[in-house]
Amino acid sequence: MTINSITFLSLVRREVARFTKVAIQTIFAPLISTGLYLIIFSYSFQNREVAGYGVPYISFIVPGLIMMSLIQNSFANTSSSLIGAKYNGIIIDFLLAPFSYIELSLGFMIGGMVRGLLVGTVTYLVSIYFYGGAIAHPLLALFFAVLVSSIFSLFGIIAGLWAEKFDHVSIFSNFFITPLTFLSGVFYSVKGLPGIWSEVSLFNPVFYMVDAVRFAFIGQSDISPYFSALIISSLAVFLLVVVTYLFKIGYKVKS
Amino acid sequence: MSTAIKIRDINKSYGSLQALADINLDIKKGEFFGLLGPNGAGKSTLIGILGGLVKKDSGSVTVLGKDIIKNYRETKKSLGIVPQEITFDPYFTVRETLEIHSGYFGIKDNDEKIDELLEALSLTDKSEIGPRQLSGGMKRRLLIAKALVHDPEIIVLDEPTAGVDVELRNSLWEYVISLNEEGKTIILTTHYLEEAEALCDRIAIMNKGKIVKVDSKENLINSIDKKLIKIQFADAAHGLDEELLEIDFNLKNNKREIEIETARQDLDKILKKINDLNLEIVDIDIESAKLEDVFIKLTNLGGDDN
Repeated sequence: MTINSITFLSLVRREVARFTKVAIQTIFAPLISTGLYLIIFSYSFQNREVAGYGVPYISFIVPGLIMMSLIQNSFANTSSSLIGAKYNGIIIDFLLAPFSYIELSLGFMIGGMVRGLLVGTVTYLVSIYFYGGAIAHPLLALFFAVLVSSIFSLFGIIAGLWAEKFDHVSIFSNFFITPLTFLSGVFYSVKGLPGIWSEVSLFNPVFYMVDAVRFAFIGQSDISPYFSALIISSLAVFLLVVVTYLFKIGYKVKS
Repeated sequence: MSTAIKIRDINKSYGSLQALADINLDIKKGEFFGLLGPNGAGKSTLIGILGGLVKKDSGSVTVLGKDIIKNYRETKKSLGIVPQEITFDPYFTVRETLEIHSGYFGIKDNDEKIDELLEALSLTDKSEIGPRQLSGGMKRRLLIAKALVHDPEIIVLDEPTAGVDVELRNSLWEYVISLNEEGKTIILTTHYLEEAEALCDRIAIMNKGKIVKVDSKENLINSIDKKLIKIQFADAAHGLDEELLEIDFNLKNNKREIEIETARQDLDKILKKINDLNLEIVDIDIESAKLEDVFIKLTNLGGDDN
């Protein structure tokens, strides 16, 4: 497993330049929906607190909203880059060039992470106006944000490789990412769910991500942040191995 | 001359279609090598295997002595492949595309080479515009520049002049010939047989997934026993008939010109008969077979299935 820094950084450069050239669409447009959530929830639930947390509702949902932006944009960057490369035919540039498989995995992944973290950061900056901007454990928040963006960048690579047309990417987005995100406890505490639903939520990997980041922001969470860190880290490593393997076998890109 | 590419027992199938069957081929370093064949012969599949775009079912390929699977990073650096289909990255200008592509091959600050390629391929004035604004011929030249930006030892051109106008085609060949003279190995597939005939030292002719013949251009052409004799007379050759010459011929230009297609061993006999006619001869031209004749014969494009 070798990495040529120039080769690898060129791919990262390409991936980052690709989305920054259309920054209005890739960075600022996602802020609109998140900004609307902040405005609506801060106005509607300004005097509410989440049971068992003792913090204003807006402080409770901000970490989840940041995670949502980060997840969606990390995924969108890698999946659209790869399906676009297939569509334009430039996927062969990545196959003809002397990339190692891990360079391809990490190069695309970091491109997605940069976009996810950038949108997440801008979302956080906007949210300061609504909740004050306090973060209980800033380094931990950064650590989790990096991990989560890597997971969804890798997930986007899988979707981009698998997809044969742009519609296929939206299947991933609409049928997996959006439901898993909305059911992960962004807007509510999973502990408070009735019946078996709080246990069912434990099978949702996005729950661990939102819960861990919430701990980093407000110092409270539904489950242990260390356990969440273990789950998230394991998932990131697992997906990195899967993606590298897919590049090695040329999954859906080599005939 | 050492071997640039060694291909051994390559097989490739797509379902029930055998795209390549037991391909064996050696291409020498510094050669200008032609890979010819009709559509679907397997040329692009073979090139795809070389560049890692297509997975072979069996066999081995080495590039400058290195296996393309075990040492794929090294072999890819040695190869510059111009694909047949026009592709472009819409986000980047011509220069940015070449800079990024240089980086893919581990080269930083490659401005000198990029400028050389832009100049050689007449793209200098287009360097700061996006590929969508380029014409089809310009996009193809950008593809060529991308393949050459890392200064590869072996250059594979898969139909590089399709859609490129005659003037630019000539300047492109001048540049490719100069690269070959510098010692680069060139592998060319083209539908323009006259290009292959003019440029290639050796040629492999493929048909239905197999290599049907590999030889020097001269040997291939000489393998067809055909001579076309063209004679111009000072006056009209009245009274000349097929019985007199005992061979088929065409009279043209008010019987002042005769064309006779014959085998090599009959040349002497025919020229003597013409001489016996006591007609004043102004000019004689004897043409040999062309690569096109060899191509048609070996690929059965003439329609003879036997």
